[in-house]
Amino acid sequence: MAQEAHGAIYDLLAVRGVSRRDFLKYCSYIAATLGLSEAAAPQIAAALEKGAKLKPALWLNGGSCTGCTESMAQVDTPDVATIVLELLSFNYFETIMAAAGKQAEDNIAETIKEGNFILVYEGSVMTGQDGNTLIVGNKEDGSPKKGTEILAEAATAAQAVISVGACAVDGGWVAAYPNPAGAMGVQAFLDKEGIATPVVNIPCCPMNPEWVVAMVVQWLLVADDDPAVFLEKTALLTKTYKDGITGADVTLNYPEYVVGSTIHDNCPRRGHFENGEFVSEFGSAEEAMGYCLYKVGCKGPQTFTQCPVTRWNRSVSWCVNSGAPCIGCGGLNWVDNNAPFFKRLSSMQMGGSLGNVQPGSVAAVVGGVAAAALVAHGLGMKAAGRIGDGPPMETAKKYDRKRMAKGGDK
Amino acid sequence: MARTVIDPVTRIEGHMRVEVEVKDNEVVDAWVSGTLYRGMETVLLDRSPEDAFYVSQRICGVCPISHSHASAQATESALGITIPEGGRLVRNILECAQYLHSHILWFYNLTGLDYVSPVNALKANIADTYALADAAGTRQADFGAIAKRLTAFAENGQLSILSGHYWDHPGYALPPELDLIATSHYLEALEMQAVANEVVAIVAGKFSHPMTSVPGGTAFVPTVDKLDDILFRLVRVKEFIDTALIPDTLAIAPFILDAATYGGGTGNFLSWGVFEKSDLVPENRYLPRGFAQGLKLDAGVSPDDVTEYTAHSWYESPTGLNPAQGETKANFTEYNTDEKYSYGKAARCKDKSSEVGPLARMVVAYLAEKGGMDVAGGADVRTPAKLIDGTLKALGLEGKPEVLVSLLGRVAARNLEAAYIADIALVFVNELIAALKGGEAKFWQAAETDKGAGVGAWEAPRGSVAHWIGVNGGKIDHYQIVAPTTWLIAPRDDNGVRGPMEEGFVGVPVADTEKPLELLRVAHSFDP
Amino acid sequence: MAGQPHYREAHPLVFVMTHWVNLICMIMLAFSGFYIHFPFFPGFMGVARGMHFFAMYVIIINLTFRIVAAFTVKTATDLGSREVDTDIKNWLPQEKNKHQFFETVKYYLFLRKEGVISAKYGSLQKMAYLATIPLTYLQAYTGFAIYGPTMKGGFFAAGTTLVGGPMNMRIIHYFIMWVFIVFTMIHAYLANIYNFNPSKIIFAWKETDH
Repeated sequence: MAQEAHGAIYDLLAVRGVSRRDFLKYCSYIAATLGLSEAAAPQIAAALEKGAKLKPALWLNGGSCTGCTESMAQVDTPDVATIVLELLSFNYFETIMAAAGKQAEDNIAETIKEGNFILVYEGSVMTGQDGNTLIVGNKEDGSPKKGTEILAEAATAAQAVISVGACAVDGGWVAAYPNPAGAMGVQAFLDKEGIATPVVNIPCCPMNPEWVVAMVVQWLLVADDDPAVFLEKTALLTKTYKDGITGADVTLNYPEYVVGSTIHDNCPRRGHFENGEFVSEFGSAEEAMGYCLYKVGCKGPQTFTQCPVTRWNRSVSWCVNSGAPCIGCGGLNWVDNNAPFFKRLSSMQMGGSLGNVQPGSVAAVVGGVAAAALVAHGLGMKAAGRIGDGPPMETAKKYDRKRMAKGGDK
Repeated sequence: MARTVIDPVTRIEGHMRVEVEVKDNEVVDAWVSGTLYRGMETVLLDRSPEDAFYVSQRICGVCPISHSHASAQATESALGITIPEGGRLVRNILECAQYLHSHILWFYNLTGLDYVSPVNALKANIADTYALADAAGTRQADFGAIAKRLTAFAENGQLSILSGHYWDHPGYALPPELDLIATSHYLEALEMQAVANEVVAIVAGKFSHPMTSVPGGTAFVPTVDKLDDILFRLVRVKEFIDTALIPDTLAIAPFILDAATYGGGTGNFLSWGVFEKSDLVPENRYLPRGFAQGLKLDAGVSPDDVTEYTAHSWYESPTGLNPAQGETKANFTEYNTDEKYSYGKAARCKDKSSEVGPLARMVVAYLAEKGGMDVAGGADVRTPAKLIDGTLKALGLEGKPEVLVSLLGRVAARNLEAAYIADIALVFVNELIAALKGGEAKFWQAAETDKGAGVGAWEAPRGSVAHWIGVNGGKIDHYQIVAPTTWLIAPRDDNGVRGPMEEGFVGVPVADTEKPLELLRVAHSFDP
Repeated sequence: MAGQPHYREAHPLVFVMTHWVNLICMIMLAFSGFYIHFPFFPGFMGVARGMHFFAMYVIIINLTFRIVAAFTVKTATDLGSREVDTDIKNWLPQEKNKHQFFETVKYYLFLRKEGVISAKYGSLQKMAYLATIPLTYLQAYTGFAIYGPTMKGGFFAAGTTLVGGPMNMRIIHYFIMWVFIVFTMIHAYLANIYNFNPSKIIFAWKETDH
């Protein structure tokens, strides 16, 4: 009765209409994504079978739009992926959990008390208005609780944090100039609070759900539920930026497979780029031919994500495939660094009445002023009679003449 | 008097707090608070209109397409752009896909758990479940396997997203067999909303946060490889709506008929209108623009009729302004229901506290249709009036449209709207095919000026959305958004008049103030 | 300066050739760079990129060669002179340039009439010429940083982090190019404002006597 020995997981799979073969195929996909050899696939299957108990997890929403939760709901091959996700017991997940109010808050408190959980954080950390730009639930005295207080408590108790989406990574659009609500990323906030819980960042607005699933599987199976092993075994890339509020350098951990190449490098339209075949106007015949969107401002060349490979919404499409230039939402401070989105270069925030200015405008002004100055100078040279043989030359340096007039060197 | 507080209200987009006063098991007063401020309008200043298209939609990750369309329309009205026919059809299809996703997700996965108990479903008799599904004309599944799976899940002792909830509440009154059917559709709905969103992804790159309906039309060109992918998925989603969503609604309704007697709110209904016809006239949209009070349509309504009050909101901006002049400057003081208690401004239409959303749209469309309008433009579809009258008849409420103004009416209206939209989505695809056959389909139109002011007033699945823009030298010098949430969870205005959801709570019976299930139902019915 | 003979000793053949290489590479780099920045006609991106990288390597090698050659090749010590010394001495600021900076500025602002005594090059000229050396290397660095943004070499990544990301690096690359354009405008203007004899010697290696 080998079938029975394989435990509950195959029953779960069977009721979702997933065959053992499909499941093994999925595991090998995960293995390939994580850079493991094909031979590792059976081990993953075995590890999943062992995991009878669900891994506790909290999904907290900060200054979010719920887009990342929505994106999570679009995860690929849901029959399999949701089962892998169901290996997590989401004791708190605002947008889909049954409980509300006090009962929901109790779930957080209970999970924090028991420990050994993973925290997923969506949205930016809201520090504006003295931390009152986000208030959720009540403190024991009945007064509203700040979102930052909930994050600090949960992150301190968690084994690890997955910050999902641009807002959780570095504040996202909410932190764009002039950052009116005092938004920052999770890592920046934890640094500020001195909380050392490891954070792994999943970029884009919203984040791609496949990248989150891969990290969860990595945690459960490869890292054996251990933060130290996770950091050691996971290929991570770090990026450093200066947080606008604290002024501190913040170093972010990203999965290397997500941010290790540019969109441009993997873009299916790259051939058209090299051939010089560009879309000059939206909705045009060039678009119908799938030409490159570089001229309409595509930020693929400086955006480091795996979008063209993973694709979106169960791999049916992604931005460029639908005719839209990449707006660089996978990058740091992505709005300020990429807007205006239809221009090749981002505008520079000059402040004051100048506001946002395109580098090209600055260059045109500088070039124009230089040209005009040279023409004016040339006219002056002509008027001064210097054209032709040039001016009469001095016979000695003025400095020497003065020195000599004073009696020369002593 | 002791107050009952729900904070956080879960299974919604965003952060919301509800506080009510209950007397003799009935709500006598209510305060609804939006507890998050991000400052979108300030971020958009001094950027390009197309940046507003991409950034402003990020105010909401559940209805970003509607926000992006409102933003694009605001720019188009400011810069005098008329979008071409191809652009109109592609946008309509995209909007339909989002509506279908949103309505399915809302009914099964968000509000569903207010009525359906997966825990109770464990007690279901499998044979009876099949018999019930048969009788209700609803979609069948492998109910035995699902029951087995639920049992294994429950025996594990960790209830994940179902944990901590009061499943013992008497309000969970469905027979276990119906709970099992609805739970199996809960799982299938997760799949179907994703299928609907695949249409979004094909047209707009991804969901959430679409990429292509840029000011001027669309950047998407429906090439031959993409058209069939769209059509096939929309047909599949429509089938789910016809075989699950609608029959399930009718099957559950008899168990919650008392919900037809409360939760009606203000009875003032606003719809900016959604799904353009080729004339691009808002009053002629497939769900037309209109304002109704006491189930009577006003002569007309325009974004100029909007006022935003801030007396009870954490803003220091002036109160009583139309958003064309509006300002957004946050200033948190303290949470005090007598003074200021929300980041939501109190949006009012014609100075009336107004409900928006599917019920408002369906009421406006119903009244327009009864007044002789051909809402569907001659297409052979189930129109709002046909759907509403048919449902009233099925529930034995023929000729009583006033029951629509209730919690039950609000739930039903959304699902009936889904049926109408599933139908017209296919109309749009067919129109697009016809346009492509005819050759020369145009999708995008450039702007000819870089200066102007405009407004885009449109409808998100959850309600009316309007973006006001001012552009000068190609840069934004004014931006204001009045989102569905601004209407629905509006606090009191300067005259102390309650917002629509606050009003909707008044009179709601609450069996147990520790377990205020009825309040969750009303809150979720607005899908704030 | 005008009024002087232009002898071959001022610009030996090898430097006439490096100057030519510089000019051709600069034109190729600017043209292909503008094209890469915004492809204003179709069908040329692959070629433009190839041209850009090729010209970049050539100009870097040429510049490095030019610097090394300065230590071995002899050039004229003064304008209009056939007396020669090691080029590097004439290239770097020297005794003859001392105390002449403000006088040169005044001369160009028409605040003095007489031309300023200088070495082979004047003070302003030397500052400008010397500045182009680090600027050229810096331009290559910023170019490499955006050319191979995923290179594992931390050398380029560190700079990208320092300036706040690849977009900022691209903008810096763009502005440095404009510095070169403005330099070239002023350079060509000042060299030829009196007469075209300086061009004759540097391009055609043709001597003139005033």
